[in-house]
Amino acid sequence: MRATFASLALVCSAALAQGGSPERAAKTIEICSACHGQDGNAAVSSTPSLAAQPETFLVSQMILFREGLRQVPQMASVFAKTSEQDLLDLAAYFSKQPLKPNPGVRDATLYDKGAALSKRGSCGGCHLADYRGREQIPRLAGQREDYLASTMIAYRDNKRSGTDTTMAGILYGISDPEIRALAHYLAHQR
Amino acid sequence: MPSRQSIYCVASAGALFALSACASVSLKEASPAPAPVPTAAPAPPPPAWAQGRSDSMADSQLAPHAPVLTVTAHEKIAIDRIRVPPGFKVEVWASGAPGARMMTRADNGTVFAGTRAIGRVYAITETSGRREVKVFASGLTQPNGVAFKNGSLYVAAINQVFRYDNVEKLLDAYSSKSAHPVDMTPAFNLPTYQHHGWKFLAVGPDNKLYIPIGAPCNICEPPATNAQIRRYNLDGTGMEVVALGVRNSVGFDFHPQTGELWFTDNGRDWAGDEGPQDELNRVSKARENFGFPYCHALGIGDQDIKKANPCEGVTLPVVLMGPHVAALGMRFYTGDMFPPEYKNNIFVARHGSWNRTRKSGYDVVFVSVSPDGRNAQVTPFMTGFLDTSTNTFWGRPADVMQMPDGSMLVSDEQNGAIYRVSYSQ
Repeated sequence: MRATFASLALVCSAALAQGGSPERAAKTIEICSACHGQDGNAAVSSTPSLAAQPETFLVSQMILFREGLRQVPQMASVFAKTSEQDLLDLAAYFSKQPLKPNPGVRDATLYDKGAALSKRGSCGGCHLADYRGREQIPRLAGQREDYLASTMIAYRDNKRSGTDTTMAGILYGISDPEIRALAHYLAHQR
Repeated sequence: MPSRQSIYCVASAGALFALSACASVSLKEASPAPAPVPTAAPAPPPPAWAQGRSDSMADSQLAPHAPVLTVTAHEKIAIDRIRVPPGFKVEVWASGAPGARMMTRADNGTVFAGTRAIGRVYAITETSGRREVKVFASGLTQPNGVAFKNGSLYVAAINQVFRYDNVEKLLDAYSSKSAHPVDMTPAFNLPTYQHHGWKFLAVGPDNKLYIPIGAPCNICEPPATNAQIRRYNLDGTGMEVVALGVRNSVGFDFHPQTGELWFTDNGRDWAGDEGPQDELNRVSKARENFGFPYCHALGIGDQDIKKANPCEGVTLPVVLMGPHVAALGMRFYTGDMFPPEYKNNIFVARHGSWNRTRKSGYDVVFVSVSPDGRNAQVTPFMTGFLDTSTNTFWGRPADVMQMPDGSMLVSDEQNGAIYRVSYSQ
């Protein structure tokens, strides 16, 4: 009995120390909501939707911003004074928001070209077959098309790296029209 | 700088963009117009870890594990799950150092730890019995390699080398960026490839700095500048290639009796669960060839990059370290604390597999071996990080380092922690 209580206490304190709490995030959410949307669905151009992204991915990107390893003018110093617990809470909050994709009109030719490119690049191997992402690997399905395109261009041109250099390698040499097709196809996934 | 075209890729039908890109032939097949070359961009990165993936593995969902970039609280570290042989004890020596990997110890006791994704170097200091983890350097590109010599700390990031003189005295000045390291990057003139570009560093008994230059791919015909271990004078002059055909070494040490370089090397991926296995190698003469990319493990010809007699002239490993286990940091044990059978033998941190259906590694093993490389035997030493029943892990040992009292530190990248292993009868 005592052992049960002890392990329960351990679990609780661990959760406090480690896990993110969507409820607690409420007080820090305004840092993000102006651009990324209160519910993580971004209405601002070239701004990623954070809703339904894997929690680990969101945490990793915030840490990369904090450490100056990922540089975007709008994000500079946003996290300089944010506690790690706040980052975890924000990630927990946004990862649990439903994504409401708004991809616009589907262009069948572009879509099919993107589908073929995704198959060729084995995008679904890491991002999973429905592109929902996992762990440090982001969700692509339903993301804003303009953001997907600009991100792939940044990876290709060595303007961005993730927690590793995988994407730069995968996208090396891909053309702008090919990126546009991929972005169109992925934005139209659900 | 070698040209990109000097890398011949594996022509897999399940071609990735990376493959088609570096063998520009297949990119042209995909699109009649030449691909636009990014303007004013630095040299593009090489093909990445997924090269050589066969058609049968095209649908595999194996991928490198996520690095943990946040602090793991001391009380969250499951120290009770770690197993060591009778008489040994493990304690958490330091925590709160996300991503801590390769370690070195300075003369006055400061332990430095490099990282990869989080871009930091930590300094762990001890004042009046209180141990403290400080962020010593940050914002670097995978500063994995650290080595200390003559009062200076050498840090190797991807293709960059920095020297922090008088490092223990100026620790706080460097940490607050009011003092700056000497940028040795031009002197070392390392190739610019990113993949497998993170470094291990060690200063040899010859007072030279040893640096591995990994193959910029999973499997490829590497450029002449890569897949080797080099040594330099401490100022970056006098470069010599010490070992060739080395795919990606992230750990080495010098035999305490012979002074010879011994190193771990990571085997290729996407060739099946069982291999080719990682290696422990011994360099007995300069420019010895260890086989990559043609010959792996104990004489296995590569399935993709082929030539006649692939293992001819190749030095085979002292012993195999297991399939996909990621044998990284290794050190000879020379202390008096552990039982005598450990002396002049080797501890190896096995970081743990990603390219294997059944996970393997995630431990520290002990290798007993003669100085000439014969009679090698690998036995588990520090285990419990991997749960084979659920195929899950909670810790990833990356490096081992002996302390002056004969105890041993083990870094755990997954938990941002360093453990101390001690022995008493």
